[in-house]
Amino acid sequence: MRLRARSIAILLLSTLSITACSSGGDDDAATTAGAASCAPSSGPVTLTYTTWIPNIEKVVDVWNKANPDIQVKVQTGPNGNGGTYANFFNQLKAGNAPDLGHIEYDALPSFRVQDGLTDLGSCDIVASAQSKFIDWTWNQVSFGEQGHVYGIPQDAGPMALFYRKDLFEKNNIPVPTTWEEYAAAAAKVKAAGGYITNFSQSDINQFAGLAWQAGAHWFGNDGTNWTVSMTDDATKKVADYWQGLIDKKLVSSVPPWTPEWDNAYNSSSAWTWVSAVWGANSIASGAPKTSGKWAVAPMPQWSAGEKVAGNWGGSSTAVFKTSKHPYEAAKFALWLNTSTEALTLLNKEANLYPATKEGASLPALKEGVEFYGGQPIYDVFAEASTQVKADFTWGPTMTQTYADASDGFKKAVTGQSTLTQALTDAQAKTVSTLKSQSIPVKE
Amino acid sequence: MKRHASAILFFVTPFGVLFALFYLIPILYAVWQSLYTVKRTGTFGPATDVFGGLVQYREVFTNGPFWQSIERVFLFGIVQVPVMLGVALFLALLLDSGLVKGKGFFRLAFFLPYAVPGVVAAIMWGYLYSPNLSPFTAVTASADLLSPSFVLWAMANVVTWVYIGYNMLIIYSALLAVPTEIYEAAKIDGAGVFRTAWSIKIPMVLPAIVLTTVFSIIGTLQLLAEPQVFRSFSSAVSSTYTPNLTVLSTSAVPNFHLAAAFSVVLALATFILSFAFLKVTQRKGVQ
Repeated sequence: MRLRARSIAILLLSTLSITACSSGGDDDAATTAGAASCAPSSGPVTLTYTTWIPNIEKVVDVWNKANPDIQVKVQTGPNGNGGTYANFFNQLKAGNAPDLGHIEYDALPSFRVQDGLTDLGSCDIVASAQSKFIDWTWNQVSFGEQGHVYGIPQDAGPMALFYRKDLFEKNNIPVPTTWEEYAAAAAKVKAAGGYITNFSQSDINQFAGLAWQAGAHWFGNDGTNWTVSMTDDATKKVADYWQGLIDKKLVSSVPPWTPEWDNAYNSSSAWTWVSAVWGANSIASGAPKTSGKWAVAPMPQWSAGEKVAGNWGGSSTAVFKTSKHPYEAAKFALWLNTSTEALTLLNKEANLYPATKEGASLPALKEGVEFYGGQPIYDVFAEASTQVKADFTWGPTMTQTYADASDGFKKAVTGQSTLTQALTDAQAKTVSTLKSQSIPVKE
Repeated sequence: MKRHASAILFFVTPFGVLFALFYLIPILYAVWQSLYTVKRTGTFGPATDVFGGLVQYREVFTNGPFWQSIERVFLFGIVQVPVMLGVALFLALLLDSGLVKGKGFFRLAFFLPYAVPGVVAAIMWGYLYSPNLSPFTAVTASADLLSPSFVLWAMANVVTWVYIGYNMLIIYSALLAVPTEIYEAAKIDGAGVFRTAWSIKIPMVLPAIVLTTVFSIIGTLQLLAEPQVFRSFSSAVSSTYTPNLTVLSTSAVPNFHLAAAFSVVLALATFILSFAFLKVTQRKGVQ
């Protein structure tokens, strides 16, 4: 009997511990503390800034030395969807979010819908900086609304084609300039014993970039309602195309960002990667054995002669609603993302590709890159950056949309479903999530 | 009597405070959160929490993937828990039988996997299962252990590997507590090693086995670290693979109210299941 009582007590404790993880902090006091004006604070201020940029301390040190009155304290964490966004949401709910946070473009609507961002549109220093940024990046942070700014663009992820120059030449395969040629090349690569690429099953961002290039509009917002259209004609075209390659087993489907995936590139079994500018570094660190054998070409096009690029990734520096010093925060964010000093350091330490027009001419981005046989690869990306369509909008619950699309894509690559089906399901789940959040959505 | 009361208060307060802070209040907060829902106007309108009664619970009970994940961990538990506890019991009996030399070494060796954090164990086994990078590619390349048909059992293996030693230790300590006179009496009655194990030792440690079973049921329903790690490298593990993964994905939306409702239902289900198991075993006269 003694045991019984004790085990029930233990059992109670153990079951209860599950519930403990669901609590999100204190009341929503945070949501009311908006800062409509953008007036400078009097006296010295200390700002907190959370990001996952590697070696960011070195960049911030430069600022701190030059600005004794605006000191920035950096806190680093895992990448956004890896945990930092969840922390931000919890901190916003608890009312203790940092002044500044690192938020990717695709997550900005989620934070705006949680009323977590300061609208910097009333800061004259921000408004006058608009012309410095590449148009589509500004569109991402202003949601296309005149006079509103919810973050300072930091970096961009224009896409291009990374390919194994040596293997393409050796096997007499022309470098594809259209998606049709890419599929033809895929068959030849398979015949030569490789895979043209690896279809990303769990990082939906790559697929979104491909759809973006094809002219997809996954989300729309007319001010009254959201629309979700993840199965529009452009997306369907892209989905059917990749489904064809998957069905013919012309692409592999190793989960991305795993040692297995690195190994596919390192062992020369995967020959190309349609990826963003920051991908240059991913290949170099994941596949060191292939150094010097790669080259970069513009992204394949849907019709010959077109010049359209997709975008994969890119971030902004946002000021959270709870910040008491929006002016100083904006000042720091502008320095971080527009000054040659900071951009050069960010590029050197973390390989960030600037979102400013002038950023493309940083000396570091004009040099040839050894891993790519000395090719000045950033020229390709600088051009791609100007070819990204400006009207792509992200939804307000992207974490959920990505998770559901990824669940479906996983089923598609294991032959239990199709990409189109996955997108249809992800759309339905996104609509129901929006409804559960009381976000108006048109079906 | 008065002095007694203050002594009781003195000893109970530290526990009481921590218990309230880290168990009771979070639970009440979760229950309270689960009764609310958000309302907003406009496409970017700020949310206000309004009382929603049981709307979140309706969502929980009509959520297909959540109940599929419950079914999945149920299947997992029915197979994995008996296997794990069977092996743990066998190892404990072996250590206690006097047949093994170097008892101390083996006791530690069996227990060692438990010292490996769950996430690290999952990553390590992930490498071993990997179709191309595993040291056992002869096996893993022909039968993909990370595919939809195998991955649940691949994870069951990881959990078993980690927890066998832990459960063995609980059962083994129960065996040590058995009075030696009983063994002497059994010997005089002519019972051999196997007979002693079957008729004396196992019945004597049944309460410990019941306890480890309850722990295991709770652990199974709370499965999180292994599927979360496996999710990054297996096509078969979705964002709602286990109940706790569902809670995690829901709070990442962020839909705190629904996540709270999921947690409350999950906690109740775990409690009912464990309580039912205790009841059933007690009715059979296990004391």
